[in-house]
Amino acid sequence: MRRSGHPAIVCRCRDVTVDDVLKAIDEGCEDLECLKRRLGIGMGPCQGRTCIPIALSILARKLGKRPEELALPTFRAPIIPLPAALILKSLDARDGEGEEGR
Amino acid sequence: MVEILIIGGGATGLMTAYSLLRRGVRDVAVFDASYPAGGSTGRCASGIRASFTSKEHVVLMREAIKLWRSYSEGDLGRAGLKFHQSGYVWVSFSEEGVDTFRELVKLHNSLGVRTEVLGPDALKELVPPARTEGVAGIMVDREAGKACPFETVFALITVLRRHGIEVRYHTRVTGIAVRSGRVSGAFVEGRGLVEAEKVLVAAGPSSRDVLKPLGVEIPVKNMPRHALITEPYRPAFNPLVIEWDVPGVPYIVQTDEGAFYIAREIEEEPEEPLTSQRIDFMPKALKPLTRLFPWLRNVRVLRYWLGYYSVTPDHHPILGPVEGVEGLYIAAGFSGHGYMMSPVTGEVMAGWMLDGKPPIPEAGRLTLERFERGELIRERAIVG
Repeated sequence: MRRSGHPAIVCRCRDVTVDDVLKAIDEGCEDLECLKRRLGIGMGPCQGRTCIPIALSILARKLGKRPEELALPTFRAPIIPLPAALILKSLDARDGEGEEGR
Repeated sequence: MVEILIIGGGATGLMTAYSLLRRGVRDVAVFDASYPAGGSTGRCASGIRASFTSKEHVVLMREAIKLWRSYSEGDLGRAGLKFHQSGYVWVSFSEEGVDTFRELVKLHNSLGVRTEVLGPDALKELVPPARTEGVAGIMVDREAGKACPFETVFALITVLRRHGIEVRYHTRVTGIAVRSGRVSGAFVEGRGLVEAEKVLVAAGPSSRDVLKPLGVEIPVKNMPRHALITEPYRPAFNPLVIEWDVPGVPYIVQTDEGAFYIAREIEEEPEEPLTSQRIDFMPKALKPLTRLFPWLRNVRVLRYWLGYYSVTPDHHPILGPVEGVEGLYIAAGFSGHGYMMSPVTGEVMAGWMLDGKPPIPEAGRLTLERFERGELIRERAIVG
């Protein structure tokens, strides 16, 4: 897969390369949930937007399957990184107490 | 045909297989219905401590910490397991809390666990970005630490497979086979009956359902617990910090990657499915921690998820053989502490299966029969 001297990056959040993905698959990680936990793909700030489709196509090719046959990993709330200050406001609204009032 | 069949490839099942390997027993197979770290292990907070409130927990966790340290320096360490002895800091905002710390420290020290009670200044030293205003005192456990559950699981899988032990995921065990009061194996999806001399149920929250058809009832409730993680930031502090006298005991720890892992108990119903998200958890967990860490308002929350605490009536695990079914063993009901205990659980279960007794006497009190006999484990220090 490595055609030049520079490794091809799959996950920019964790610096995971194509070779890393291929090695993990060879070691028995044959689904995206396993690759996620083995390599951290899908766990960075992009929440898998970049890496999961790429890892999916590598995995499908390697297993001789179509990408749509493979299961996607679970995507977790809040989907995009949310500032804690914003999340804290939701509690203030329900409790009716000012956040700075304590 | 295998000598020992283990149901569950989480920290408990894998560490037991590893302890058996250390004893020279390789005729072992591990089956798991899901993917690696797909259950409670992969959802846990990664914290490891011996500063508990019962003699049994303190002694077992003290031994677990020794094993975490030695495993991280051996073949598991070379395969990626890392144990950071980064400590726990328990913070109290009240004098009553500090009094409880003093009681706990007495218990810990008497059992060889070197915790200590210190003042707010020590908090500033150990956790520089913490605000000490309102802090009455802290309890410090310097021998405690953390280990990434994913690295632990994959290191175990690598080492076990290297020694020819079968570790298989996406392979559900549909039932345990018993013939005239004796285990004969387990029914494995796609394989039929896999014969085994001994079967260990280490299936976390599913253990109850695996045992039920045999008429073996374990008193375990699966309580949903929630956690969130932030974007990674540069290293701010090492220990896991717990607010002791805040309801729901919120805590925060920074992972190797720099993310802040935050959790707090919120009111929950047992057996709620793990798909039932509680968005209100996020502000409820963050808010009390902003007292110590006002800058938390500026971090970004990345992900939120749930896992189960498999809770027993005395909050201690069920470890050992099952009376009436020869060859059947249980390691379940860890009540939220299965991952940190797993290396010593492995030793205890290997002892039960190979020698008929655990290597640590305190573990002998943790069999299922204690609930029938009413010999529940007592808390030695008054807590809360």
